[in-house]
Amino acid sequence: MRRNFWLGALGVALVLSLAWGYNEYRQAENLRLSTENQYRRAFTDLSSHLDQLETDLAKGQVATAPNQRILYLTQVWGHSESAMKDLAQLPAEQVGISYVDQFLNQISDLGRTLAQRVAGGGQVAPAEENILRDIHDRVASVNRKVDEISTLMDSDQTAWLSKSPTLRQRLGFGKAQVAEAAAEGQEGPPQSVRGGLEQLDASLQKLPPFSYSGEFSTKFVDKPLGLPAGEISREQSQAVARDFLAKIGYGTDNLEFTGETQGPFAGFQWKQGDASLEVSKRGGAVTLYRDQRELQVRTLSPEDAKNKAVAALKALGWNTMVLTSSEDFGSYLQLEAINEQDGIRIYPDKIRLMVGLDSGKLVGFDATPYYAYHTSRTISKAKALPLDKAKSKLRPDFQVTESRLALIPKMGNQEVFSWEFRGKYKGEEYLLYLNALNGNEEKIQRIIKTPRGEYLQ
Amino acid sequence: MKLRIRPVGLAIIGVVLTLMLGAVAYAALGDHVLGRGARGPEVSELQQKLARLGYVVGPIDGKYGPKTQAAVTRFQKERGLRVDGVAGPQTINELKLLSGESTTASGKPVGYKNSDVNLLARLVNAEARGEPYKGQVAVAAVVLNRIKSSEFPNTIADIVYQPGAFSSVSDGQINLAPGSSAIRAAREAMSGVDPSYGALFFFNPAKTSNRFIWSRPQIIKIGNHIFTR
Repeated sequence: MRRNFWLGALGVALVLSLAWGYNEYRQAENLRLSTENQYRRAFTDLSSHLDQLETDLAKGQVATAPNQRILYLTQVWGHSESAMKDLAQLPAEQVGISYVDQFLNQISDLGRTLAQRVAGGGQVAPAEENILRDIHDRVASVNRKVDEISTLMDSDQTAWLSKSPTLRQRLGFGKAQVAEAAAEGQEGPPQSVRGGLEQLDASLQKLPPFSYSGEFSTKFVDKPLGLPAGEISREQSQAVARDFLAKIGYGTDNLEFTGETQGPFAGFQWKQGDASLEVSKRGGAVTLYRDQRELQVRTLSPEDAKNKAVAALKALGWNTMVLTSSEDFGSYLQLEAINEQDGIRIYPDKIRLMVGLDSGKLVGFDATPYYAYHTSRTISKAKALPLDKAKSKLRPDFQVTESRLALIPKMGNQEVFSWEFRGKYKGEEYLLYLNALNGNEEKIQRIIKTPRGEYLQ
Repeated sequence: MKLRIRPVGLAIIGVVLTLMLGAVAYAALGDHVLGRGARGPEVSELQQKLARLGYVVGPIDGKYGPKTQAAVTRFQKERGLRVDGVAGPQTINELKLLSGESTTASGKPVGYKNSDVNLLARLVNAEARGEPYKGQVAVAAVVLNRIKSSEFPNTIADIVYQPGAFSSVSDGQINLAPGSSAIRAAREAMSGVDPSYGALFFFNPAKTSNRFIWSRPQIIKIGNHIFTR
């Protein structure tokens, strides 16, 4: 009687666990199938985008009319970007970014840079023609490999990821491990899709890198242009830090040295209570300052804070800076100040300030952009188109509310002397920049109002 | 026994019920001061707005519990308001203002324009939660520096989800909701602040033996992270 009961209970448990197991199996199978389909789709997309990329590169080389060139170069940009996105969807096991990825990003960057240049009336230089030809060859070899992998997937049911060694192999009973690893490294058919892409990585990396001047980066310079000459010592940097803190109303009793930084802005780091600042070795300039104290209840309006910021700039000896924009972070206001020379705004010469709305003291200061780009420039108002002539190049129904001369940064580490027009068109507000010398449209920015302040898109 | 209600009585009950219903259903956020123990749709709206700005309130359940109170307190502290943990008119106005949509010059709403900030803040949260604020801004700046570099993709999502680029994507931490400090750091980096001075990589020296990353030229150490070119 008792025995029968236990047998029955075990039987029921067995049936239940079988049902549960079957259910789990079915779910796992569904999941496997849907990821498999996603991977297949990404892989097919990858190979078709690479195909199109190869075609566009060929056509882009032969095209002579600027409009055709722009078309194919923008397609090169778009298709390499799509191929990069497809690649990102394929499974990967290793840490680190693959070289194929980097290669595709460089192509898209080059495509965009050249397309924009041709659109602006520029030329593709002979050296760049060579790079395009070189890229074309490499893309063709990438295509060949991808096609090979795709065939293997059908014939050998290749897995997506290389199998990790089995327990038996890891314990040393298997024989194939070493041979397999060697085969995966080079030559021979790849063991997995990812393995094949890694082979591709290795073969691409053997080729010499191509170089061209990429997109203008506002934060990345090999050598800061604006840092004064001469190296300073740690003792001298301490004096600079003291002076800076004193000028913005801070004590300097507990000033302590916290370390050095390397790179183009190499410097000394100092700390005073919650405030920290960095003084560059070259020229002894304060590049970054931040006070991380807890801010109290705000007592100042944004207007008051702006006045405080102007006063702080004066105290620190920045006399030619004008405040241009602000962003509300609640307990503090972040402001941008731009260098103005002879009535011309020099946008690359920028300083950021943060003013605490509790006491009006400076809680943040960032002069890195200024020191990165400031040089002595030869621009003069006399050379610019007269205002009315520049205005006549705008759409007739664009209502100008503000206009001024400005120097703006442009792709490829260049600066353009231009007329800045702020105005409205069909209920939207824009900033339009026309080249001050020839009246060409250089840049358009749309202004939107966010809860934190104006924002340029 | 039969229950009899006179028509007048019925009407009065009806009116009272309607009024009560109206008070519950249509009270807008800002009509009342909300504090610990408050309940109802106004509290839900408050919670929704707090959550949108990255203040953790737990599930949006319309109950002003300890989590909501803590979120309100943090919001008040970070916005420089009087800190009391009670959602009064000033707090609610500030919250409404901040969680609103962006508009064009003519006032047409154009959406929140937040998705990029949100993903960047998630990454900051996942990669640098315990780091000093400056280190969080630097992590966000690394992503933005990569956009500028020709060797990396051109959108925040492509960079964050680049295979093998960030360990927090592989282990799922990227999917945690970002805190308010991560959102602020992401926003500050997007405004151009870069305490990493142009770094493209960062790593925790205590946790990494990867040869590639150690071979990069180092720029600065902030908190537990070393930032490199």
